[in-house]
Formats: sequence, structure tokens, C-alpha cells
Amino acid sequence: MDPGYPGSVGRSAPLGRVLSSIVTVVLVVVIVFGIVDALVDPAAVALGQGAAPGEVERLRAAWGLDRPWTTRLGELVVGLASFDLGVSRVQQAPVSSLIGQAFAPTLAYALPGMLLATSLGIGGGLAAARRVGGAVDRALTGVATALMSTSSLILVIVGHQLLAHRWGLFSLVGWPLVGAERGLWTLVGLALLPALLWALVQVGPDLRHYRSVFVRELGEPYLDGLRSRGIAEGRVLRHALRGASAPILARIAGRLPHLVVGSLVIDQVFNIPGVGGLAITALRTGDLALCEGLAVVLAIITIAGQLLLDLAAAAIDPRLRAGGRR
Amino acid sequence: MKRGHSGQPERSGSVGAGQRLGVAGRLSAGVLAAFVVIALGASLGLWGADYHGFVADPYAPPGAGLWLGADALGRDLGARVLQGAQVSLAVGLGGALLTLATGGVLGALAGFRGGLVDRLLVALTDAVAAIPPLIALLGGALILGPGVASVIVIIGLSQWTGLFRSVRAEARRLAGADFVRAAEAMGATSLHQLRVHLLPHLAPLLLTSAVLYFVHAIKVEALLAFFGQSSQELPSWGGLLAECGSELARGIWWPVLGASLPLALLVLAAQVVADRLSDAS
Repeated sequence: MDPGYPGSVGRSAPLGRVLSSIVTVVLVVVIVFGIVDALVDPAAVALGQGAAPGEVERLRAAWGLDRPWTTRLGELVVGLASFDLGVSRVQQAPVSSLIGQAFAPTLAYALPGMLLATSLGIGGGLAAARRVGGAVDRALTGVATALMSTSSLILVIVGHQLLAHRWGLFSLVGWPLVGAERGLWTLVGLALLPALLWALVQVGPDLRHYRSVFVRELGEPYLDGLRSRGIAEGRVLRHALRGASAPILARIAGRLPHLVVGSLVIDQVFNIPGVGGLAITALRTGDLALCEGLAVVLAIITIAGQLLLDLAAAAIDPRLRAGGRR
Repeated sequence: MKRGHSGQPERSGSVGAGQRLGVAGRLSAGVLAAFVVIALGASLGLWGADYHGFVADPYAPPGAGLWLGADALGRDLGARVLQGAQVSLAVGLGGALLTLATGGVLGALAGFRGGLVDRLLVALTDAVAAIPPLIALLGGALILGPGVASVIVIIGLSQWTGLFRSVRAEARRLAGADFVRAAEAMGATSLHQLRVHLLPHLAPLLLTSAVLYFVHAIKVEALLAFFGQSSQELPSWGGLLAECGSELARGIWWPVLGASLPLALLVLAAQVVADRLSDAS
């Protein structure tokens, strides 16, 4: 896929990146299943702190936890190799299918919300960085800091209560979306407010981050070189945008762990059966297997997504191809 | 910070902490101090002592006697809000210190030692960072159970990866610096290097990070409290939002205002201080 550098230095960097991603996945599995299973007794967690000792032993035997750890490790590895994450003993359903069902509702609001926040953040950051300390910069940075300081709890609760309940600007009923026979516009209407609130939560820190990225990039001498050749300011900024592509993609990659979980508060307040809602259910019912499955699956998706974004960054920015990470 | 941060030509001479903070920063530091006073007074019983008695009708509006009205069970909301400052500050401080301890120590170790230690720690950090933070927080809450102490431990053990990376990068830069290598050539021990050469130069970064992690820990506490995982004895602002947030549409605004205003103000003040510190260093 690379155009082929002399000496093919460029080929080894993506390969190394893939290998290190695989190592990371293995480590995640070790940390989540190995350490958690060694330290915590799922039966005791499921029964809570007030359980009688005999009851815990009985549950351990019923779940097969009293067998030697080597047997259980073997089962685990075989299961993972065939994408089987075990069964949620509390919900009596395979973990993988529970997680699979939860993705559509989460992405329905989180993906548009993230796209909106990222474009607003990049646009706002660029506008603020063009004149550091100017009126636009101060106004945007002030708004971003205020938004960032307002806990997502406050933004989501107040937004949901006022915009939807009190003023009726957005439709409320209708979740769950999955399996319901509804038109596309109904879906858009239902996901609109969660997506807007998601964007509101994310745009504050993003704008500040992109501002600092562009402050650095706009100080680069190559832009003055372009200007001195009489190139229009709009095109100069397009060059700056491409020059800053690596930190922008890195920021989006850093956002992926949030994207795949969605927002716990939005899921809870809007009663959305998303990944966040599933995690809350796992917490409430003491479902350790579901929690472990969520951690591993979401981590693998995150790592895969970050790998793709890294490769995309290398495709856009030739400086990243030769030297690996900048 | 007696030693000036090297490599900063534009800032000459020693500048006092007050000057570095600027007007907004000093104002914010004052707000933080006020929160500390409120929390200390509440824990000593100077004010807001009667926060669990049923003293009024449910959702009594603010007025004579109860300056912030009552909550769903008719308890004094003002007293509960004042008591909530304790939980937020305790988790903010505890979470920040524990994060600093884990991320700072591991980062300094990886950056300064390099080699195999560095590779192992970086791989570990990549793996921990790949687990979505919200899932790590909820999983930790599931394993450790609710309470202020478990919230602090969960934050300290799961949120350190960002700090690890910045401390590691700084320590790596310092490990290659001439004065460190000169000291090494003279036979300085690792502990001496860490204490005399590394820590003073890491101090500005660690100070700014401490304030940022204070902000982060307070936000996380509010979130965990919203799901009933924070303090079980003392009221908490996140818990207050969970109890009364759904009443806002009925026009009952005082519980939401009472919980969100101090939460937002505390976070904003700490954020401004952190911004000023990082601008200055």
C-alpha cells in the first residue's frame, strides 16, 4: 500500500505497529481476565457482601469455579480464539450477543455527536489560533473552558429536562430503536438530542486541544513561505490543516475508547439500551463476566480503530512513514 | 521550586506564585480556598450539621428557614450541599495524589531507566489505556463496592496512563541531559539522581498535572455518585443530581442548582489554576 520508499524503510513501520497492537490485545486479556479472576471471586461479587459463606461455595461449584485454574485458563483461551466471551450468568445470555445488540443504539448518537464535536473543535480551534489572545480566541477559549468545567452530568440532565421535557423541542419517547419499525427520520429525531448533548460534552476539551495544535502549526515557517508566494489565506490554512493531520488523527484515536462506550449518563437519562447502559446493568447486578467481556471487546475494537487511524495518518503524512511514530 | 525551569529564555528572574497565576488565577485559588473552608467547617459541624433530619415538606422551595429548600425526603438541602463539598474535595485530593503516585513513579522509572523496564511499562500502559475508562471505573466499582475510599483507589489505579506518558517523555529528555550524565559519571546513585536532578525538573509538570487530576477526580466522583457508587454516609453532589435531576421539568430547580453550581464552580476554579500553571511553566 505504500508507494515504496527506496530501501523500503516505510514498510516496516506499519508492520511493527500491527505487531505491537497484537501484544497490547494479549496484555489486555491478561490484565482483565487473569488479574481480575485471580483477585476477585465472581460468585462473591454476584451475591454481594451479605452472602453466607456456604452460598458462595455452592455458587462457585455451580459455575465451575472450583476446578483448577489451568483448566479454566484453557477454556478461556479456546473461547477467546472462537470469539466466545462466555455467558453472563446473571442475564443468562452470551456476553458477545449482549454487547453486539448494544452497539447500534450507542453509535446512533455517539458517532454523529463525535463528528459534530470534532468538526466544531477543529474549526473553532483554527479560528482561535489565527490570532492568539484576540477577541475570537478569548471568547472561544472561555466558552470551551466553561463547557469543560460543567460536568457531563449537569449538561445532560439539564439539557434533557429543559429542552425535551419542559420545552418539548425534541421527541422523547421511542427508545429502544432496535427492532422497531420506524422511518429514518424518526430515528434521526430521537438520536438528535443525545447527539447534540454528546457534542456539547466533547467540544470543550476538543476545542482547547485543537487550538494548541494549530497554534503550533500556524507558527511553522513553511506557511510564511506559502504566503510570500502570494497564495490565498484559505489555501494556506488548508496546508496547515494537512500539516496538523497527525495530531488531529491522534486525538480522534484517543477519543475511540469513549466512542465505543457512549455516555453512561446519556444512556441512563434517555433510557437508551446502549453499551453504557449495559455496563450500568452489569454494575447493578454484580455481573463480573459481562464487565470483563465489555472491557476486552471494547479494548480490542479501540486498538483496532487506533491502528487504522495510525495507518491513515502515515498515508496522509509522509514524515510518519519512515520514522514510525512522530 | 527553587530551581528555575531550564530552557525558558523569555522568563528571566524568579517570579512569585501570585504573579504566575494572574488575576483570574488568584481569584480561582481564592474560590478553591473557600471550598476547603466550607468542607472543613462542614466536617467539624460548624455549619450544615443537620443534613439528615426530616425538617420540611418534600421539595419545599427555598425561603425562610431553609435557604435552599428541601430535597425529596424533606431534608435541609443547603446543609446537604455544604456537606457534599467534603466528598468532592476528599476524592479530588486523594484521587490526584494516588494518580500522581502511580503515573508519576512508573513514568519516571520508565523514562529514566529505559531499556526493558521502559518497554514493559509502555506495553502495560498501552494495554491499560486501551480499556475504555468508563468500563474500568464501573468494573472497579463493581469489584471494590461503593464508598469514598474505593472511588479514590479506582481513580488512582485506572486513570494514570496520560500522566505516565508525559512524565516518561520528560524523564527521557532529562536522562539524556548533560548534567544528569555528568552526575552519573561521578557515580551518583539512582536515588540521588531521582531526588536531586529529576524531581525538581519534573515539579512544574507534576504540579500542573496534580491540579488537572484533581479536576478529573472530582468529575469522576460526581459520575460514580450519580450511579450510587460514592459515599454512602455523606451526601454528594452527583448523588443529589441522581435523586432530584428528574424533577427539573416540574419546575423544581433548587436541588439541581444546589448540586451543579458548586460542582461547576469548583471544577472551573481548579481548571483555571491548572491553565495558569501550565501557561507559566
